Amino acid sequence: MLGVFTRAALACVLLAGWSAAPARAEDTLEKIKQHGTIVVGVKNDYKPWGFVDPSGKIVGMEIDLAEDVAKRLGVKLELIPVTGANRMEFLNQGRIDLILATMGDTPERRKVVGMIEPNYYAGATNVLAPKSAQLKQWADLKGRKLCAVQGAYYNRRVSQLYGPDLVVFPAVPEAMNALQGGNCVGFLFDDTLIVSTLSAGDPKWQDYEMPLVSEDPQAWAMGVRLSDLEAPFGGFLKKLSIEWHKTGTLVELEKKWGIKPSPFLQEMHDKYKGS
Amino acid sequence: MERIADFFRWLNDAHGVNLSIFYDSLDRSRFLEGLWTTVELSTICTLLSLVIGVVGAWLQGARFGPTRGLVQAYIQFFRNTPPLVQLFFFYFAVGNELPHVLDQHGMLVPPISNVGWAVLSLSLFAGAFNIEIFRAGIEAVPRAMVEAAESLGYSRLGVYRHVLLPLAFRISLPALNNNLVNLVKTTTLAYAIAVPELLYAASQIWSEELNVREMMNVLLVTYVALIAVLVAIMGRWERALHIPGYSP
Amino acid sequence: MTPLPVLLPGKPALAGSAREGWREFFSGGVLVAVLAALAISILAGEARAQPGIGASPGVLAILLKWSPLIFQGFLFNLMVSVLSMLAGTALGLWLGLGRVSQFVALRRASGGVIQFFRNAPWLVLLFYCMFLLPFSITLPFATVPLPDAAKAVIGLSLPVMANVAEIVRGGVGSIPLEQWESGEALAFSRSQIMWMVILPQCLRRMIPPWMNLYAILTMSTTLISVVGIQDSMTLARAALVAEGRTELFIPMYLMLLSWFFLYCYPIARWTTVLERRFRVRV
Repeated sequence: MLGVFTRAALACVLLAGWSAAPARAEDTLEKIKQHGTIVVGVKNDYKPWGFVDPSGKIVGMEIDLAEDVAKRLGVKLELIPVTGANRMEFLNQGRIDLILATMGDTPERRKVVGMIEPNYYAGATNVLAPKSAQLKQWADLKGRKLCAVQGAYYNRRVSQLYGPDLVVFPAVPEAMNALQGGNCVGFLFDDTLIVSTLSAGDPKWQDYEMPLVSEDPQAWAMGVRLSDLEAPFGGFLKKLSIEWHKTGTLVELEKKWGIKPSPFLQEMHDKYKGS
Repeated sequence: MERIADFFRWLNDAHGVNLSIFYDSLDRSRFLEGLWTTVELSTICTLLSLVIGVVGAWLQGARFGPTRGLVQAYIQFFRNTPPLVQLFFFYFAVGNELPHVLDQHGMLVPPISNVGWAVLSLSLFAGAFNIEIFRAGIEAVPRAMVEAAESLGYSRLGVYRHVLLPLAFRISLPALNNNLVNLVKTTTLAYAIAVPELLYAASQIWSEELNVREMMNVLLVTYVALIAVLVAIMGRWERALHIPGYSP
Repeated sequence: MTPLPVLLPGKPALAGSAREGWREFFSGGVLVAVLAALAISILAGEARAQPGIGASPGVLAILLKWSPLIFQGFLFNLMVSVLSMLAGTALGLWLGLGRVSQFVALRRASGGVIQFFRNAPWLVLLFYCMFLLPFSITLPFATVPLPDAAKAVIGLSLPVMANVAEIVRGGVGSIPLEQWESGEALAFSRSQIMWMVILPQCLRRMIPPWMNLYAILTMSTTLISVVGIQDSMTLARAALVAEGRTELFIPMYLMLLSWFFLYCYPIARWTTVLERRFRVRV
């Protein structure tokens, strides 16, 4: 019996030690170089920025960008699939070092994670709806069932402004499946994904359209911990982002993945070309 | 009421402990609605699954072989497959295939909503367990009672209704309560198909207010308290209906 | 059945042999029914597939293309279930012993812990562990990383621990008082009685409910897909989105259901066989 108690006491001491230990305040860049691996959080259900191919590998435009980051740092790349609802938690817990997961750059989020400027992409909010729904303007959504995904920054704004009945799913595949089943009148999401879905030429999406005017344009940003924003890691990423725009890497990657050319990227490319 | 709200606002500003459900009326109403939906869902599913249990236990005694086989197949299927996959199967796959109906806006929508599918799937899941529980209860009733009833001229259905079922219910009440508790816990799965129950409401709140830590604790405490109350009530009822001298 | 009021010999003790179990398994038309449903859905899907679009492969071909990947996810589910079961059983054994201990405080504390973890929904516990456990444990001598899968295993092992504790309590409680008294008469200490007399006898009785718990746990491992871990469910959903065809939904989910069924149904049958074999004969 005594043995049990001693063991229990030891476990308590260890637990106390673990929870009381302060967070490591090491520089992320040094840590990455030491470990020889950078851990990046990416989407795996947002075609073609981050999605899964039949062999199980995550591929996409953002994965190509992550590989560029790893190459320039001279380390290996480890990809962790994240969702809108958990990417900031993972970053702040230290599970990942960098968020490259179609994250919108909003003032509320800037309080929680550090956003790297210049932004590497931009999207806006829109709705994927069947043509038979005959939606003409945002006000048509009032009282209608609208599928959405957890953790999107525009959910609250749209539901407060236009009063739809929001049906929120944990991830994109469920929301898309629900839309296909007719469980909602449309799918509220970033217009970049909607455009890429419609332009992929899949016959199933022939009867769908993006009827409304894209609202609330939101730039996307790479996310790092707040402590890293002014640190060497943040500085490196800021310079890299400028270089991507300058050399037109982002425009090329857009073409490679069949994404409709975005005016935002063209603007940024022209802006940085000369510098 | 206002003082409580002020206290929690102070708690947030001074210590960063954001319990927004206490001071924000939108969050509070969402949370309470979620709680109410969980209670509603549990109640409806319990009643439906009880009906399925009674009918299924009756069919299990049928003389016609294929009926018994069908009931057995139903039980084994729903007991040996994950309830989450069952839920997804019903909502996404089966719901898709059903003939759509026109709603008030002139759009083709599936006839059963996500709440409807959650009720259906969870009832079928719990019903399968209930059939087994009722069967065990029925088998525990002494054969002598059934024979006595038959000798008094009751038909098979009459014996089932007036003699077997009431006794079997009292005998299997502990197991039924266990199943009920499990059902209440299983309603959390409906979160995955966007049914606005408690877990869904909490996740909405923490996505917007970014107060995951606090909401998780509130959620855990709420569920444990809810089920503790249920267990206490059910325990009282069990003791009241306990058959004197019978211990399984 | 004779009409005379004589006492017929009781039914012979059921053999409960493994062979009888297998026969029941195969003769269960259930398996046939499930596979038939799968086949029908695949054929229906093939029939509904868009005609004329040259390179569009059939439903069966798509299922086979994605099966290896989804099967890997399924094996991951199984691995999580085994690890959670081991962790939960180890913890639950101690908790159960605490529940039947002679010290009132320990009994009450164990009872409280058991009630707490039995009352909490499994999904909420999973969410809790995923969000609130740190990503690495800083011990004085090293930093141990805690990957997502480990957090899920911990999250699932908590309810398992509580249920195993209840099984242990039930098992220990089912041993007649005479065993305890005989042990005392032979001057064994309480812990000696527990470990050398009681627990070996309980073990056989605890196995059927323990196996039942394992089956429930295996089915609950699908919950980890809701908290964002890659398992067979997330991979199946990703495959459905990548293919984007409605006629795939039913076959894909039926395939997943049948895999779980093929794993859990034999366990359930075996549990019944063992229950009969280890039935307490008075």
